[in-house]
Amino acid sequence: MPTLRDKILATATNLFQTQGINSTGVDNIVAAAGTTKMTLYKYFRSKELLILEVLTQSQQQFQTWLNSKLDSQTQQPAEKIQRLFDCIEEWVSSPDFNGMGFIKAAAEFPNEANPVHQLSAEQSKQFRLYIRSLAGQANIKDADGLALQLSLLFEGAVQAEQMQRGSGAMQYAKKAAKILIDGSLTE
Amino acid sequence: MENFNSTEQLAKLSQLGKTPDERLLSLFDALRDVSSGIDLAKSITENASLLAFCTKQANALGAGQPSMLAEHILLIAINAHMQTDPQARLDCLKHGKKAAIALILAQTQTKTNRLASLRTRPALYSLSASFLLMVSVGFGLFISKTPMASNQLTEVNLTAKDASLLYAKYELMRQGTCQYPEALQIPDQDKAVYLENVVGGKLPTNLKDLAIANRYLEKVRCNFTPMLMANSTS
Repeated sequence: MPTLRDKILATATNLFQTQGINSTGVDNIVAAAGTTKMTLYKYFRSKELLILEVLTQSQQQFQTWLNSKLDSQTQQPAEKIQRLFDCIEEWVSSPDFNGMGFIKAAAEFPNEANPVHQLSAEQSKQFRLYIRSLAGQANIKDADGLALQLSLLFEGAVQAEQMQRGSGAMQYAKKAAKILIDGSLTE
Repeated sequence: MENFNSTEQLAKLSQLGKTPDERLLSLFDALRDVSSGIDLAKSITENASLLAFCTKQANALGAGQPSMLAEHILLIAINAHMQTDPQARLDCLKHGKKAAIALILAQTQTKTNRLASLRTRPALYSLSASFLLMVSVGFGLFISKTPMASNQLTEVNLTAKDASLLYAKYELMRQGTCQYPEALQIPDQDKAVYLENVVGGKLPTNLKDLAIANRYLEKVRCNFTPMLMANSTS
């Protein structure tokens, strides 16, 4: 059974994703969660800490989903990296897709000294390193280069989808990723 | 610091490339020169003029969704340019350009693939096979007589015969499912011709480009059988 903390976190996640982080006040969160400010601050000492927790949890959930999806499809490293964008396309096409937390947060908090911006940048880096590890396992010569290409492709496509759902950006990103991966595998 | 949306900067950007894809990709080269006094706004909405410029190039390329291609390439450039560490920014711009090349290829290949999905009637099966043989032999002879290394012929225009032979080859390719060489593996000096005249299916305007296009057309592998078999059973 979800705790009150979980409920506040889930409500905040939903509101941040659908209305934006800066547009969502603590009052909105407590009203939607059916609790009080005092309770919210008991679990999260500030709105900033709540934002950081939402971002951390959202990224963990996405990464867990992606890992399990890829693992269920294949154990072959070369196939895993080739199927990466298939999974991402499935995620973007789902009705629940509301964008990528760290991409939205980086846009809403452009100041590099802000802890939210810093966490967003770290999550972006971690995702690139994840792609790099897949490329490394697939014995791709320039794993760092490919990881950078794919992460730039991914973030651009997600931003395009955030601006206009069903834009088709991810479909083309998937084709472009295949060109890049096939090219790297034959190097 | 002046931004990329100024008329002057867009004019400079336009001069950096001779073809639409070169002009699109020149954005990454221009951004590498951080000391040139130009900047890129962090939001796509603040780059309206630059987006319009990129969309115009994507349109000229014959992309499947020109505005989306322009937007995606601009987003990649913005994200790459946002890196604060100079070395990281250079790496991001270098690899962002590679991602953009792949995107251009993905969008222009889609157009070719869509055309390739057009089906011929079963009655045309034998005719198509004969036509394939004739054009293959004819095109082979044509290629063998084409002065491949004659770079001096840059300004010579194509004759109607050259153009019709090449057009026949393009039309034939559109009847099948073709696999193109990876653009990333093609030397930079040939990339524009490859994307425009081989992948894009546009006729070259001079013999130098024709020679380059021919070289890469030779490497395109097309499979006609499955479609014809599918037609004969439909």
